[in-house]
Amino acid sequence: MTDATRQTLLGSLPTSFDTGPEWLRALRGRAAEALREQGLPTKRTEAWRFTPVRSVVSAEFSRDDRGVPSLASSLPEGVTARSLRQVLQAEPELLEGRLDLGGAPTHFAALNTALFSDGLWIDVPAGTIVERPIELTHAIPTSSDSSVVYPRVLITLGDNAELTLIETYAGTEVGPLTNSVVEVDLSCNARMSHARIHENAGLQVGRVDVRQDTDSTYRSTVVTLGGALLRFDVRCMLQGKGAECQLDGAYLVEGDDHVDHHTTVEHQASHCRSAQTYRGIVSGKGTAVFDGLVVVHRDAQKTEAHQENRNLLLSETATVHTKPHLEIDADDVICSHGVTVGALDEDQLFYLRARGIPEDLAHSMLTYAFLESIVDRVSHEPTRARMREALLARMPHREEIRGVT
Amino acid sequence: MLKIENLHVEVDGKPILKGIDLEVGVGQVHALMGPNGSGKSTLSYVLAGRDGYDVTKGRVLYKGKDLLEMAPELRAAEGLFLGFQYPVAIPGVSNIYFLKAALNAIRAHRGEEPLDAIDFMKLSKEKAALVELPDELTKRAVNDGFSGGEKKRNEIFQMAILEPSLAVLDETDSGLDIDALKVVAKGVNAMRSPERSMLVITHYQRLLDHIVPDVVHVLIDGRIVRSGDKDLAKQLEEKGYSEVRDAPQL
Repeated sequence: MTDATRQTLLGSLPTSFDTGPEWLRALRGRAAEALREQGLPTKRTEAWRFTPVRSVVSAEFSRDDRGVPSLASSLPEGVTARSLRQVLQAEPELLEGRLDLGGAPTHFAALNTALFSDGLWIDVPAGTIVERPIELTHAIPTSSDSSVVYPRVLITLGDNAELTLIETYAGTEVGPLTNSVVEVDLSCNARMSHARIHENAGLQVGRVDVRQDTDSTYRSTVVTLGGALLRFDVRCMLQGKGAECQLDGAYLVEGDDHVDHHTTVEHQASHCRSAQTYRGIVSGKGTAVFDGLVVVHRDAQKTEAHQENRNLLLSETATVHTKPHLEIDADDVICSHGVTVGALDEDQLFYLRARGIPEDLAHSMLTYAFLESIVDRVSHEPTRARMREALLARMPHREEIRGVT
Repeated sequence: MLKIENLHVEVDGKPILKGIDLEVGVGQVHALMGPNGSGKSTLSYVLAGRDGYDVTKGRVLYKGKDLLEMAPELRAAEGLFLGFQYPVAIPGVSNIYFLKAALNAIRAHRGEEPLDAIDFMKLSKEKAALVELPDELTKRAVNDGFSGGEKKRNEIFQMAILEPSLAVLDETDSGLDIDALKVVAKGVNAMRSPERSMLVITHYQRLLDHIVPDVVHVLIDGRIVRSGDKDLAKQLEEKGYSEVRDAPQL
C-alpha cells in the first residue's frame, strides 16, 4: 500500500480510528492521544537526549508498507506466521490483550501502534521446538527517498517452546524511515534466541519489548553496521520467577553515522538473571550511544544482573556517550556494571607488527576481533556465520582477516 | 649483522641508554646481561621499533641498512625477531592463523609465494613439537589463557616458524621453572646456525648454562661496562653486578 501524500509524522495521525475491532481502536486512540499530548521526543526528553531526531520529527514522509516485514525462510512445521491485518479482520479476538504488551507506548512506539497497517504474528505452540531459525527481512523499498514504514511483529511462544529468530533490517538509501515494533511474549520455560542485524543505511527507530514468564530465556544479539540515524531500544520484563535474559550487541559506527542502543531490564520477580554486553567501534565523525538501565523491583530478591559496555574510539572526532545505570529496590541482589572507552591496545598492535603484520592489517584484525567476540556468543552456527560475514563486509582486508580470527 | 653505534635513547625525556656500542656478527650469539632498570628491555624495544623511545644520538645498522628508519613490520620482514619478555594476549585473534599471515607477509617481502594451508600446518606441527607446545595451544587465540611458560614457548615456536636472521630474546627465561627453561633453551639451540645471529637478554646467568653465548656484555645504567666470553657470566653470578662493574676491565 502506497500513499503518495507527504506529511509530518504527527501530521499523519488520523483524528479518529474507525476500522478494526473495538479494543484495537482503543489502543490506537490511546497511542494517538499520548502523542498529541507529549509530541515526539526532543533534546529535552531525557531518554532521547543524545538522539538527534529533530530532523526526523520535522520531515515529511509518505507511507509505504509494501512487503515489510517478509518471511525470508520457509516455515518450520508446527509454527504459524500470519498477517496481522488478516487476523485482525478475521479473528481479532486472538490478538486481544496481546499487543502493546509492555503497557501504553510513547513516542515512536506509540506512532507505530497508531499507524501500523499490517505485520506478522509468529506463534510457536507449547512444547514445539523449532530447530531451524525463522528469518525475517525488513527491506525498505527504494522507490522513494522519503517513505516511512511501520513494521510490526508479534512473536508468541507457548510453554516449553523454542525458537531462533533472525531479523535483518536492510536498505541502502539514507532517506527512508523505518519505525518498527517487535513484541515477544514468552510463556513458562520458553526459550528464544533473537539475532538482529541492522544494515540499513537510513533512518531507523526500533523497539523490542519482551515479556518473560517463569523460567523463560531470551537471548538477543544485535549487530548494527552504521546507519544515518539508528535508535534501538530493547526492553525485557522479567515477570516470572527464574526468568533469564542475555542482551548482547556489537556496533560499528563510521562517517557521520549516529547509532544509539538503549536497553532496559526490569527484574519484577525473584531469582531472575540478566546479563548485557555491548561493544562498539566508532570512527570518523560517528557517534554512538549506549544507555543501559537495570531496574530491580522490591520483590525481586536473589536477582543477578550484569551490564558491560566497551567502546573503541578510532578517531579524535568520534564520540561515545555511555550510561549504564541501576535502580535497585531489593536488598538481596548481585549487580555489576562497567564501562570502558578507549583506543586500540598499543601492546597488541605492536606485537602483531613486530611479527610482520602491516599496521593497517593489524588495525583491522584487532577491531574485528573486538566485535567478533560478541558474535561468537551466538550459539547457532549459521547465524554466527551470517553475522561474521556482515561484519567482515565492513572491514578493510576482509580476506586476510577471515582466516585469522 | 647488527651494528649499534653510540646509541642514546630517552623515554619521556629521561635518558635510558647512554651510548651503546655493540656489534653482533653473522652466526654469533651474544648475551646482554644487566640488573633491573639497566636498559635491557629498552634496547630490545628500540631494535624492534616500538613507539615512545626517542633516539637522541647514534645509529643502528642491520645488514648494513639503517634499522631505525624502518617500520616494525619491515624490520620483521627483513628478518628481525623480538621474543617478548611479556607477550601480550590478543583475544579473538587465532595464534596459528595470525602466524600464517605473518609468515606470508614476510615471504611476500622476500618475493616468495605464500605457503598454503597444508604446508603451513605441516610446518607448524614440526615446530610446535620442537618446543613441546600442545597442538591445542597453537590454535587458541594469541597467548590467551596461556601460562607464563606457555607464552615463552609460544614465542620460540613463532621464532622457529618465522626463521629470522637476527633474534632478540628479551628475558625469555623470566618466569620459567628449570624444566620449562630447558625446553625453551632446546628450542633456541635448535635454531642456532651459521647464518643466524642472536642477542639473548637476561638478568640471570642460568639461561646461559643452556644457551652458551659467544660473547657476553654487561649493561649497567645504560652503558655496556664489560664485555667478555661466557666466563664473564659466571663471574657475575658469583660476584654480583656491582663488583663486576667496579672491577677494572681486563
